[in-house]
Amino acid sequence: MNEILEILTYPFAYRALIAGSLISVCASVLGVILVLKHYSLIGHGLSEIGFASLSLSGVLNVQPMMIAAPSVIAASFVIIFISRKYRTAGDTAIAIASSAALALGIAVSSISGKSSNMSAYLFGSVLAVSEGDLILSVIFSAVVIFVFTLLYNRLFLITYNEDYARSLGINTSIYELIVSILTALVVVMGMRITGTLLISGVIILPAVSAKIIARGFLSLVIISGLLSLTAFVSGLMLSFIVNIPAGAGVILSNVMILILVKILERVKS
Amino acid sequence: MTERLRLTDAVIKYGDVRAVNGITLTAKAGEMIFITGANGSGKSTLTKGIAGLLPLSSGTVERTGKMGYVPQYEEADRDFPASVAEIVLTGTQRPGKLFHTKSDRLNAEKAMKLLGIDALADKQIRTLSGGQLRRVFLARALCGEPELLVLDEPCAGLDAQSHEVLFGILRTLLAEGCAVVMVTHDVSDIDGISGARIIRISHGRIAGHE
Repeated sequence: MNEILEILTYPFAYRALIAGSLISVCASVLGVILVLKHYSLIGHGLSEIGFASLSLSGVLNVQPMMIAAPSVIAASFVIIFISRKYRTAGDTAIAIASSAALALGIAVSSISGKSSNMSAYLFGSVLAVSEGDLILSVIFSAVVIFVFTLLYNRLFLITYNEDYARSLGINTSIYELIVSILTALVVVMGMRITGTLLISGVIILPAVSAKIIARGFLSLVIISGLLSLTAFVSGLMLSFIVNIPAGAGVILSNVMILILVKILERVKS
Repeated sequence: MTERLRLTDAVIKYGDVRAVNGITLTAKAGEMIFITGANGSGKSTLTKGIAGLLPLSSGTVERTGKMGYVPQYEEADRDFPASVAEIVLTGTQRPGKLFHTKSDRLNAEKAMKLLGIDALADKQIRTLSGGQLRRVFLARALCGEPELLVLDEPCAGLDAQSHEVLFGILRTLLAEGCAVVMVTHDVSDIDGISGARIIRISHGRIAGHE
């Protein structure tokens, strides 16, 4: 325990703790919509496109966000569009785009001789969170929570039944676009800590666990946020204690919570 | 009387098939229209066209005032984690209005009470029976204070008491100036509202008026 408290006195550790906690909560809240709309694969696809962007930014020697943010947002539009238009083809499109992006990222990193960065991109690193990233995370998280609260009623309706929303005269495409932009930004912000391979788990797993417990949509959102926060903090601590990448610790914590919730549900029923 | 609905020469195609083939109809305030016809005749497609869920391949649809719609089947996840009250309240949403008002909540409570589901308000929709769920969708349509109500076989799965309650509500709405378009297979439904128009659909066309 003392060791953990001591680690948290290091700037890199508290930066990772604050930024990661905020991003985890945002990711899990958006994850509720993605899970319920059966768009679970989108986070995975976007993160691998993010990996290619990070590799490219390393080679071009530019700020990672300069390339990653616009390319992941653009990719999210394309993926959501394809998923909506061709339900089955959407999954295939994500699989093709994500594996192509992963291959491109690996190739770019290897050719440029910067493959040492690859591990940090793929599995995340708490050292990657700079002071600037922390400020960006705080601002971005505030934006996500504000937008989600402002559009809560609409997002609930569209997640539940898009057709019915249209019958009320509501333009559902705008809200899907907003969700895809926010998801893309969560992926870009989160993949530095948890890694591009694991960020989709941070988005999806808390919502899946919360869905088992929640009695309504609002409680689902709140429980998902709380479980995600718990999983992030405990996962980060685990990563400090057993010296594993933060992303792995966070995902393992999320999986443990899911198993625990499933067991409790079984016992209860 | 104010016209609530004007459908002009509406065509809705699924690929090359014309499920609705040149239907023209109007519904005025306080008017009840029953739509009947065999399975596959295009009744549900017609109501989806009226409700704006399916685009018309040609023709026009004009609606005046707020619309309530009850589909034959809810095209949503039956396992969706939402409470009855949450679903009913969605009926009050309108473009440009992001928050529920106090009167929206009162309307939702009133609609749930009218349909006898107020005790189920906090229940998850996945725990409801088919008949209870249908009453939830009716309450959702009613709480938006519709001026045009489009119902696609709303009585399927309803018990006799709920059926009577629904027709009592419809009579009140008609007296208040709401226009109602309702798809039904049951002749006894038609007897429930005096002075209603009956439109028989066959192969996507109007085959007869009564």
